[in-house]
Amino acid sequence: METLHFEYEAMEECHKRAHVGVVASGDLEVLLEPSTDQKASVTIRTGSEGFGDTWEKVLQRFFATHPVAVNIEINDFGATPGVVSIRLAQALEVSTDHEPA
Amino acid sequence: MNLLKLSLAELNARERVQSLLDEGTYHELLDPFQRVKSPHLEPQGIIPQNDDGVVIAQGKIDGKRTLVISIEGAFQGGGIGEVSGSKIAGALELAIKDNREGRTIYPVILFDTGGVRLQEANYGLMSIAEIGSAIVELRDWVPVIGVIPGKVGCFGGMSIIAGLCSRLIMTREGRLGLNGPEVIEQEAGLEEFDSTDRPLIWGTIGGAQRVATGFADILADDDVEIIKDGIVSFMQPAEDEPRSAQVDQYFSLIKSVDPTAEWSPASAREFINQQGSPEFEPAPLSSEAEPSRGRTWFQALTGNQPSLSEDVPSFLCADAKLGEENARFLSIVPDAHHRFPRVRHGEVGLLEGWSIAHYVREAMEADEGEGGTPRPIVAIIDVPSQAYGHKEELFGLHQACAAAVNAYTTARLHGHPVIALIVGNAISGAFLSHGFQANRILAFDDAGVNVHAMSKQSAARVTRRTIEELEEATKKVPAMAYDIHSFNSLGALASLISGIDADSPAEEEVETVREKIVETIKEIREGGPNLKNRLTSENAVNGGRRASIDVRKKLAEQWK
Repeated sequence: METLHFEYEAMEECHKRAHVGVVASGDLEVLLEPSTDQKASVTIRTGSEGFGDTWEKVLQRFFATHPVAVNIEINDFGATPGVVSIRLAQALEVSTDHEPA
Repeated sequence: MNLLKLSLAELNARERVQSLLDEGTYHELLDPFQRVKSPHLEPQGIIPQNDDGVVIAQGKIDGKRTLVISIEGAFQGGGIGEVSGSKIAGALELAIKDNREGRTIYPVILFDTGGVRLQEANYGLMSIAEIGSAIVELRDWVPVIGVIPGKVGCFGGMSIIAGLCSRLIMTREGRLGLNGPEVIEQEAGLEEFDSTDRPLIWGTIGGAQRVATGFADILADDDVEIIKDGIVSFMQPAEDEPRSAQVDQYFSLIKSVDPTAEWSPASAREFINQQGSPEFEPAPLSSEAEPSRGRTWFQALTGNQPSLSEDVPSFLCADAKLGEENARFLSIVPDAHHRFPRVRHGEVGLLEGWSIAHYVREAMEADEGEGGTPRPIVAIIDVPSQAYGHKEELFGLHQACAAAVNAYTTARLHGHPVIALIVGNAISGAFLSHGFQANRILAFDDAGVNVHAMSKQSAARVTRRTIEELEEATKKVPAMAYDIHSFNSLGALASLISGIDADSPAEEEVETVREKIVETIKEIREGGPNLKNRLTSENAVNGGRRASIDVRKKLAEQWK
């Protein structure tokens, strides 16, 4: 098990928190909460050690397209980069949904 | 009209609740953003989840106040640990309070669980005992409705909980059994149960078979609206007793099962629906008594009385003097010639579960009839496990265990002081059924006294570790250890009795134990009938149950 942390510049605001996914084999849990700082901060707890570079690439791509100011907590159970990207997109969709929470 | 089906089983635990509750009524307690997760997983290198795999929500179904408890089968196989278990037990306890005060709230449990989470072992067992107690108490006011939509199914200690529910809805994809197919194959061999034989599995524990044999009430299509309709149809006072209280009927049925016969799903259906076979005459019983701690202490404490249970020799029961009054003693013992081969080492099987239920209720009814003081009930515990067998599952071992749990709990709630005396092993479903519902648990301070959720070999295999790794983990998490001192640190023991030769006690040692029991009975009568003492004991408060206490406190704050 290892814990990773990444930060990115981010200016877009988001208003709602979001929770998606499950800590199931090949999946992950994403907790997304709006941040008041002009940055995105991501903490990952993962059972698969040594994939820091891959995480960095996935997150970089995500925040390059969506520079949202959020705090994200991830609990990962061996999700592939594809699954991670989908979950992040889902979380963003929930958090920018205009329906009341 | 919406013609599209929405599968309940395909949804995750939270989506299942959201799909069932009336729109706009969803109120989740201890949601993931509060990060109330298991403190026991990370020290073992296991990734936790922020709701610990259980969703607790209040809301409305068909306009009626409802508490929905949903277990996430994809996280740790839906295993019940300290936090997830306390979320369930704590929510049910709040529902008891509401119903008692006239604020009706219907509890609905969506099961998707393998049972105890082995990485938190004894915390799982303790929580499941508390959940069972709460359900029995709740049923006095409202039906407790269980749903098994399918994916994992409902196994282990949680199958006993399903067996306590007033009503049970299953889909064809749902499975219900005490021991999962893999566990039976591991414990009893391929000849007993081939866990790759899918027709065998579904024909034994699948939803269609369970409903056809009366172990569940409705076989529903896996569709949210249909399952919701089923739930709504059960939201009214139940007219009949729950299965776990229908003891006479099931006890006589199980007594007429011929375990030497070949049973198919179809023949089991026919047999159960005809209420058994009047022709079956079991082979004459053996009379040789095998030595065991359970027998030694039964004989010592009852003064060698013959057992009231003549037709089930693996179950001993007698009334004997305890202080100034009569008490009922119960024990389960090995019987090398037992007609069910899977219980010959003293396991809790079908006959044992229903025997406990029968003889506990007999004492209750007799005392009630005479208007006397409810007599103390002493469970002498030396049980290596529940029975692992195909016929056991086919004929509803989980239901037999639920009947035993129900009987002890009802006796306790009706004022019978119930004492568990652990003289040997107290393992898993066997301990849940025989002793874990006691007001107070006493144990001998002895190396041969063990409490756990599963044998070491199986626990290692199921959690994919070596026995050495498993033992290493127990150093970090005392709830995973087998020894009685570790169990004592969790706060569930009322007393650890030392200086006793558990195998061949001298008369004065027996007297010491007797005095301890009498003293405990006095304490019980002064205290209340619930299990609260397990959470207020010194060891519980000083860390043994820290998370359990915290979860209950937060639930109470967020309850609407």
